[in-house]
Amino acid sequence: MTDTGSLAKPRFTLPGPAIAALVVVVLIGIAIAIGGQVIARQVVSGLMLGAIYMTVAVAFTLTIGVLNFLNFTIPTLFMLTGMVAWGVLSQGYLSFAGNAAWLLALFIGVAVAVVASLIVERFTFRYLKMKHGDSTEHAIPLVSSLGFLLIFENLVLIAFGSDSQRFKVPFNADLRIGNIVLGVPQIASCIVAVAAVAALTYILKRTKIGRALRTIAENPDTALLLGVDVSRVVPVVFILTGVLAGVAGALFTVNYGDVSAFMGDNVGTKAIAAMVLGGIGSIWGAIAGGIVVGVAETLSIQYFGGNSVQMTVWGLVLVIIILRPKGLFGGSAVGKGKM
Amino acid sequence: MLLEVSELDVRYGRNHAVKKLSLSVGSDEIVTVLGSNGAGKTSLLRAIQGLCPVASGFVRFDGEDITNMTPPERLRRQLALVPEGRQIALSLTIHENLQMGAYCRTDGNVQRDIDAIYDRFSNLGARRKMPASVLSGGEQQMLAISRALLARPKLMMLDEPSLGLSPLLVERLFELIVSLRKEGIAILLVEQNTHMALEVASRGLVMELGNVVLEGSAAELRDNDKLADAYLGHAN
Repeated sequence: MTDTGSLAKPRFTLPGPAIAALVVVVLIGIAIAIGGQVIARQVVSGLMLGAIYMTVAVAFTLTIGVLNFLNFTIPTLFMLTGMVAWGVLSQGYLSFAGNAAWLLALFIGVAVAVVASLIVERFTFRYLKMKHGDSTEHAIPLVSSLGFLLIFENLVLIAFGSDSQRFKVPFNADLRIGNIVLGVPQIASCIVAVAAVAALTYILKRTKIGRALRTIAENPDTALLLGVDVSRVVPVVFILTGVLAGVAGALFTVNYGDVSAFMGDNVGTKAIAAMVLGGIGSIWGAIAGGIVVGVAETLSIQYFGGNSVQMTVWGLVLVIIILRPKGLFGGSAVGKGKM
Repeated sequence: MLLEVSELDVRYGRNHAVKKLSLSVGSDEIVTVLGSNGAGKTSLLRAIQGLCPVASGFVRFDGEDITNMTPPERLRRQLALVPEGRQIALSLTIHENLQMGAYCRTDGNVQRDIDAIYDRFSNLGARRKMPASVLSGGEQQMLAISRALLARPKLMMLDEPSLGLSPLLVERLFELIVSLRKEGIAILLVEQNTHMALEVASRGLVMELGNVVLEGSAAELRDNDKLADAYLGHAN
């Protein structure tokens, strides 16, 4: 049967939810078997982190799958959400909202990310003339999105400075399951991340616009032939990207409480690692990759200390792409005949 | 005339694919465009559908000038193309491919029309939830034609539909084309299978390097020595 999450033609197919669930269960199982509850705690917190990486990795996968475009502005959209939320909250603009001010601030942050993503769409796609089949096809969107990464980051630096800021969330309740302590914000984050990704796969699989996006992903010329107005569909990709990156940024802000102009850089590179590890172009690959990278990060901190994280994550990516160049769950034919 | 193409010029960079070409298709006829590879036949169909830019000339369809319309606008005016190589979205299911055929429609009868397709082609209906990649070449061609039918075309253009099909399937394909014409759909057929094309068509024209070199009724073309030398000897 079809792989519900894959954007392009999969060579072998497993039901995506089964893969994701299997990865989670196996990781927790191995952790408890080997290391007992100390490790299980690390795995659980890795899953929480992985949920954020997953959401960002899915955003990357969406633009790569549909537009064959590595959208470098995604980390910036992530950062904008956190900084804007902190900005409107700390300036006291939202005092009328009382206890819900922090939540409203996050919604505003996500909305700003979506608007920023649409601005990026205008200047990386709409106004630029790319010719399908030559070097401008990839270089122009890539370079202009890299430009936006730096422009947005420096705008925030000018506006708010380079200091890390505190985003206060008025709850910090914990849940205990055995010896494992779970923060309520963390659990809520996992649920929201999974819901956001589930909503995206629903849109891709079940709606008219989703069918159009998957047709573009496979062959833009076929989409045009069938009457898909690409200039109307491309902004939808950027809106979805903005929502996913913004939601991930909001979850990160709630979970870790720190925001800065550079908060997107680390998450962005980890999400790219997750996407490559899982298999470029496959949504379920991005989901699995995000979870694996999150858990690898927390376990690496536990065993080898905080400075080992990048080496562990990227070492893992290198090993995987040497052994399986298509990534863990890849095998998609992304990369041919894109816009 | 349902479709009128007048003095059409199509250029790709330096390549002058179609040169001052004129043709017309009536609302109840099959017209065939013959010619060897590189004659400009595919460029002609793509330009009529709006998939490649027209350098000069105009295209009228159903009494309206559509020269500068986008492909979606042309589809909504019930002009559809079954492209060369079929261009089925292989990762989508058969059902989703058919739904994409009706992408430009806003009426509520799409599901009814898809059901009618499944009645007509039972091997599509039986596997509607499978990815289109499970279909054979002949079945993919049926799907491509069905997908175009869901635009409810007044004129369907087919670009070398018989390519790569077995003689038996080619026979069935041409029977289908004739039955579509009887249902009131005009056909503009690009073919290299000259024998079969001239059997079903009422008129035809022969292209060579972007020009029309021969034009006439199907009977005239069948009896034409020049065409016989150039193409009929190599048909099938």
